Amino acid sequence: MARVDLQITRRQFLATGLAGTALVGTGMGPGRSNLAMRYPDPPWFASGEVVTTYNYCDMCPWRCGIAVQSVNGQVIKIDGNSPDPKSRGKLCGRGQAGVSFMNDPDRLQSPMIRTGERGEGKFREVTWEEALDYTAEKILAIKDQYGPESLAIFGHTSGDFWFTDYFAQAWGTPNAAKPSSSLCLSPRDEASTLTFGFPVGGHEPLDWDEMECITLIGSHIGEDSRNTVMQDFVEARSRGAQVIVVDPRFSAAAAKADYWLPIKPGTDTALLLAWANVLITEDRFDRDYLDRWATGLDELTAHVQEFTPEWAAGITDLSADQIRTTARVMSDRLPRAVIMPGRHVTWYGNDTQRMRAEFLVNSLLGAYGRHGGMYFNKSPFLEPYPHPPFAVHGSSGGCSAEPGEESAELPLGPTGKARADGARETFLRGPTAMQELIDPMITDDPYRIAGLIVYGVNLLNSIPMPNRTIEALKKLDFVLAVDVLPQEHVAWADVVFPEATYLERYDELSTVAYKTPFIQLREPAVPPMYDTMPGWMMARELGLRVGLDPFFKWETIEEYLNTRLRSVGSNLEKMHDAGGVIIQEGKPYLEDFEADDETPFHTPSGKIELSVAELAEAGLDPIPVYEPTEEPPDGYYRLLYGRAPVHTFAKTQNTPDLSAVYPENELWINEDEATALGYSNGDRVWLENEVGDRTGPISIKATQRIRKDAIFMAHGFGQHAEGLTNANGKGASDTKLMSRYKLDPISGGAGLRVNFVRLVEGG
Amino acid sequence: MASAFLLDMTRCIGCEACVLACKAGNQLPVNTQYIELIEHTSGTFPDLVGGFQNHRCYHCADAACVAVCPTGALFKEDGLTRLNPDACSGCGYCVQACPYGVPKMQNGRSTKCDACASNVSGGGSPWCVTTCPAQALEYGDRDEIVAKANSRVAELKDRYPKVQVYGETQAGGLGLIVVLPDDPAMFDIPTDPQPVPVSVDIWKGVVQPVSMGLTAVAAVGAGVLGVIARRNHLAELKELEAREKAGVPAGGSESTEEEQ
Repeated sequence: MARVDLQITRRQFLATGLAGTALVGTGMGPGRSNLAMRYPDPPWFASGEVVTTYNYCDMCPWRCGIAVQSVNGQVIKIDGNSPDPKSRGKLCGRGQAGVSFMNDPDRLQSPMIRTGERGEGKFREVTWEEALDYTAEKILAIKDQYGPESLAIFGHTSGDFWFTDYFAQAWGTPNAAKPSSSLCLSPRDEASTLTFGFPVGGHEPLDWDEMECITLIGSHIGEDSRNTVMQDFVEARSRGAQVIVVDPRFSAAAAKADYWLPIKPGTDTALLLAWANVLITEDRFDRDYLDRWATGLDELTAHVQEFTPEWAAGITDLSADQIRTTARVMSDRLPRAVIMPGRHVTWYGNDTQRMRAEFLVNSLLGAYGRHGGMYFNKSPFLEPYPHPPFAVHGSSGGCSAEPGEESAELPLGPTGKARADGARETFLRGPTAMQELIDPMITDDPYRIAGLIVYGVNLLNSIPMPNRTIEALKKLDFVLAVDVLPQEHVAWADVVFPEATYLERYDELSTVAYKTPFIQLREPAVPPMYDTMPGWMMARELGLRVGLDPFFKWETIEEYLNTRLRSVGSNLEKMHDAGGVIIQEGKPYLEDFEADDETPFHTPSGKIELSVAELAEAGLDPIPVYEPTEEPPDGYYRLLYGRAPVHTFAKTQNTPDLSAVYPENELWINEDEATALGYSNGDRVWLENEVGDRTGPISIKATQRIRKDAIFMAHGFGQHAEGLTNANGKGASDTKLMSRYKLDPISGGAGLRVNFVRLVEGG
Repeated sequence: MASAFLLDMTRCIGCEACVLACKAGNQLPVNTQYIELIEHTSGTFPDLVGGFQNHRCYHCADAACVAVCPTGALFKEDGLTRLNPDACSGCGYCVQACPYGVPKMQNGRSTKCDACASNVSGGGSPWCVTTCPAQALEYGDRDEIVAKANSRVAELKDRYPKVQVYGETQAGGLGLIVVLPDDPAMFDIPTDPQPVPVSVDIWKGVVQPVSMGLTAVAAVGAGVLGVIARRNHLAELKELEAREKAGVPAGGSESTEEEQ
């Protein structure tokens, strides 16, 4: 009985004590059940003191602010952080599974050095000392032989700053790249910079609160489960905003649309030009806005005359009536009507021009800087930690890249070499294009790239032409993989640095350009598990071993963060007490700039450039035209891919809770096509592209929800990594079917929707 | 006072945040989930209507699962259907009887949404409600929830001509009030749910008592009618409650809990 007595006493203590302590900060305050007799196990929040730490989520690149609750040294529950403008107390399924991600038994647990052949995945566990010393020795050898530019650094996810931005620039390599640029956002942000003078920014600045019409082109909100966007989209729609969805697939968002335009893939620019035609020829655009804030209206007016809805109907498989009607729906609500800038927009290789066409329509609607259209985002003020001048000014880009001097001379590294990705030659501008650095690794052209540090990029499941990537991996002198999990490419590394997850580490502050700019804190909820290390510590330890001491003067990460936070009158303790977020004032609307007699548009003309001289000078179209895209051959379908709501990229497929809910992707194929091929729901098939690459098996989802000329699957599946218990061999890989891509001549983006596949039996 | 959920399927966008919040907050085993999102489509390309079924416990007032539960593991409280897994004998009648196919067997015991009883009793909300980015979920007094659902439906008629409140009357009135954008049949939801008769075969399968030490199990195993077992068990629960109120420690089955 003594034992039972103790339990009851503890419970009573907790039940009364909890309400007043740690839970107050979360604003949720769950307590103990008064039905404890019926629920014998105390719930987690009544089994010890609940400690809340603040963080920004790393389960996708959106970076919602989160409140992490731990009990007895165990992280139990993650919620959206209420004061955080991105999460507002809500969180998506992936964010909820952060604990499951951290506790994944397949995690890398110790630094390792390769013992077998590259690709075999044979390693021996070593001490951090040995791993770091060995890595330092190898990259210094590359530097001595070829120069620092010959070390490429690829980074993704929120710790990438330390390697891809900070270490790379201190070390002196311009060959640092992020997939979020040329495999995702580059066309959009270059188009925005050419048109408006600044990139869209990581958090698309749609002024949802007052919006009356939202148009999505391929954006599949809901399946792409970015928390804030789902909140804003659903709220705007419930308030009565009209929704127009352009998508070859009846997505979750299309099912919510007032107008669904099931467009033929690859023809979006024709639709956009026809919309511009309707707006201009019917005088349904914001002429006053353009007169005041834009140049090139006459050129645009002349340009769109021939692009009638009837012309576009023949191209897009839509009716002229649909095109005209939707243009009028938008114009009836201008300027509270906007086309959402997409996110993953590297589709057909002419993507900067397509995004330009979107921005021209948005300009005709008078949307930028207007209530209910798009606001001007602003980055929060925050001083960097003081450091000596960098050895090279990098341009790795990514979601939060600041506008650089994209069209100026490329910066040179310490031995006089500019980036090796062909910028200014095969494409005009934009951040370093990751996929364009693979060929130089194989050909030594324009110069040898001998080493690669890969931080969190799932190389073989995100860069097209994975066979080419393997060829490059075979040829490199040295590969360091920094990761949380034994992803497919980790088997190709010489050294593996296991990283502590975001829940186990401090990290660089997250600065979000937003209507109200804000800064997010990442503080550890628990110490690093196993023999793992935070990325900042790896970068610093490596830096100290390769002579970069002046860049890593701070002894502790707390000192680094406190120094930065001092510039905004805060420190770690204050920021924690304030709920993990610092919110500043923005300057969102045109009237805010007019009041200061400034222009928000940082183009050469200081206005919105409907026609772009820089493009004309480069021999490119100053105003977008429609270029036909290659059609799938008989028996083949265009490969489209996207998201399943509970997965991110090729990162979360192994996370136990997420794998349990969505273990493998499905092949969306039009039901009539499936029937004609003799398949029905649940049948398992393989997919083969035009050069014979195969992936699978994958289950058929025979549905009316997709056009007959395309198939669709969630990205990130079909991985082959033996160390990933849940993900290995599950479903089919879109990346493995990408035997080619089409380079966007403006942004360096890799158009990925140019691959055609057919259904086959057996692997 | 009866409580209820509001589930507005005109807002739900199928992101499954609720599914994962429920799993995390209730620390469910990896292969257990109380909520499932099921996509539904009608029509032919390109004339389509689509939406989701947010499949979960409907918390019936006349709960078939409670009626057939021989041990009182399933019971009604605040209008919601609770489950005490430690009192479950693993007979599986609830799985058979539920008109919505909700309870599942997990390691020999029934498992299903209990509306986050422990969390809510401390003043919190069910985890799914707290996290829903679409704010498709709310939780509160049932009368207020029903009123809110009806006013939503009135506002939504333009966009959804067939929009309706589901759950006001079904199975004696549900604890999950759903704003449905279309007919229930479109989402595979029964218009008039009826308890599924529990077959005799099932009674035979009950001989392996999982939850030892409960009077109920012994009673069922001996072939005594479940009603008696239930009565016994309820009496036991009452006694336990009375003890708790009096601050008397419980004994028996609780002693398996780990010591700290």
